[in-house]
Amino acid sequence: MLELNKHVNTVNALLARYGVKFGIYKNHTFKEQLFPFDTIPRVITHDEFAYLEKGLSQRVTALNRFLADIYGEKRILKDGVIPEEFVYSSSGYLAACEGIMPPKGVYSHISGIDLVQGKDSEWYVLEDNLRIPSGASYPLIARDLCRKASPSTFKRNHISDNRDYAALLKETMDSVNTGGINVILTPGRYNAAFFEHSYLAEKTGAVLATGNDLAVMGDYLYYKGYGGNNQKVGALYRRVSDEYLDPMTFEETSLIGVPHVFDVYKKGNVALLNAPGNGVADDKGIYYFVPKMVEYYLGEEAVLHNAPTYLPFYEEDRAYVMEHFDDLVIKDVAEAGGYGVVFGSSLEGEEKQRLKDLVNEQPRRFIAQEVIDFLDLEVLDRDGVVERKADLRAFVLTGADQVHVWKSGLTRFSRIEGCSIVNSSQGGGFKDTWVLSR
Amino acid sequence: MGIISVEKVNNLFWLGRYTQRVYTTLQRYNTGFDEMLDLDVHFFEKYCEALNIPNIYTDYENFIKSYGYNTDNPDSIISNLYRAYDNALVLRDYISSEALAYIHLAQFQLNAAKLSDAPLIELQSVTDNLLAFWGAVDDSIDDAMVRNLIKLGKKTELLDLKLRFRAENEELKRVFGQLDFYLHRVDISYDRVAYYEMALALEKREVDEKTMLESLENLILV
Repeated sequence: MLELNKHVNTVNALLARYGVKFGIYKNHTFKEQLFPFDTIPRVITHDEFAYLEKGLSQRVTALNRFLADIYGEKRILKDGVIPEEFVYSSSGYLAACEGIMPPKGVYSHISGIDLVQGKDSEWYVLEDNLRIPSGASYPLIARDLCRKASPSTFKRNHISDNRDYAALLKETMDSVNTGGINVILTPGRYNAAFFEHSYLAEKTGAVLATGNDLAVMGDYLYYKGYGGNNQKVGALYRRVSDEYLDPMTFEETSLIGVPHVFDVYKKGNVALLNAPGNGVADDKGIYYFVPKMVEYYLGEEAVLHNAPTYLPFYEEDRAYVMEHFDDLVIKDVAEAGGYGVVFGSSLEGEEKQRLKDLVNEQPRRFIAQEVIDFLDLEVLDRDGVVERKADLRAFVLTGADQVHVWKSGLTRFSRIEGCSIVNSSQGGGFKDTWVLSR
Repeated sequence: MGIISVEKVNNLFWLGRYTQRVYTTLQRYNTGFDEMLDLDVHFFEKYCEALNIPNIYTDYENFIKSYGYNTDNPDSIISNLYRAYDNALVLRDYISSEALAYIHLAQFQLNAAKLSDAPLIELQSVTDNLLAFWGAVDDSIDDAMVRNLIKLGKKTELLDLKLRFRAENEELKRVFGQLDFYLHRVDISYDRVAYYEMALALEKREVDEKTMLESLENLILV
């Protein structure tokens, strides 16, 4: 490991060489930033990963069942396990998806589950990302470069090779493909995750396309080739959010989507990865109910725990939140990317009262969670090794026949001492995640 | 890869053009810089006239800085390299990360040269990376159509610049021959009238630069 750390600057220079960047808009200006990489990996033992694998697979299976149920029979609502208003008031719920069964019945093909490990070594799920979770490409390319920088490190340690991600993704796309080519739809080069879109296209052999490259003709979606040489699309891994996917069905001003693609999807003539409408399942309010979903759909107890969460929507929980405001972190369910997260203890006087009033007035809009004292990870800093907060985004790929938990993941860390917000858009860095093979 | 969209054809062609433009203008820039040291301080005036770009430069020092490194100057070498980068960036799945990396590196080096005490020496790395990029195009890209579209753009730009810098007829004929080679190896439309006019003018040694440049601009229909 020490050997690898000697090469931290070289690896970062190589990441820059390959354009490993993310885009960010600040003051209405687009800027590309390098994503700082730390060579000290997060290490997950073989047994620990077996536990995570079981829990993640279980969780994503239940979430997929939930989505099929919500846009289908709605048994979970009828049985009173989840209050209806949590579903129908969710901004991720799309009425247009009612009654649609995606090809092979898979809704969330690529799921990004955010976890943290507490100081008690317990893993907690912080968030489910079932729409267009990003981040797998970073540890993927970093591993390749680290292996070159210090082959002996990888020779001596028994680390599962994570470079199968592209093959797993291709397998997932192929398994739901309705007949045609695989395409990755990007909003374009000014999207924050454009590096990932283009890198995954290269590695999976899928075609990278913008909305202009695609057209619906008849009941099918086509990639528009030069000279009228069009090719049918069977699977569209779209990295465009639901609202911009099809201006004829959703946001009509969208210029980055494909008109009528939703109609093709409805007819079962193209697989959309992930399916539209998944936002209802990764809503921060719905998150509270995921362990209940596991019990309801699978008849099992959830392996992975949520961070202790309170829903101000319930009177009892609201009273608790008001009483223990300083000990909790308050999250606005409509926000993402580390925004809309407020530590109760960080507010004073009027500001605190304002947020309390808002929670009382709009209880459905917020959740409150216990502040988990999560395990610090070692990070190489200019002054040597320091300890910083870090989370883990695990990737679960669900195809027609199997659920596969990727033996790696994106470990993001804060570069500020004591800070728990690790998002890249907030200045965080990333690490590789090693899963030991024995 | 097999199938290429209209937009990607356009990106590949212009990637070839912009990389060639940066490469060739860098060579001229170096020569001009040398000439301006002790022979002709007005070199840049003739240079702008030849390229048909506005002469916005107050003196040769201003030309060196602005034409070389000013991103706000649309005609500068750095602006053209950024355009090459813009086209390359959306083509990673066609040209490979390996080839794309050399455009990234050329960009880093040109930005580094801008801040250097010895910018001309630093520019050598930019040239090296462009040459490496073209090497990677041959080495890393399996699809002949993709390779040939880049090369078609490259030869189109080279002929354009040779015309502007008044190259000899034999030299123009040689470059046109290269362009012709790639034109007939890509499955794209071109203006046949413009093509034959150019071929005939070169054969008869009756090249009128302005007419040739117009024909060249009309030749490729992407």
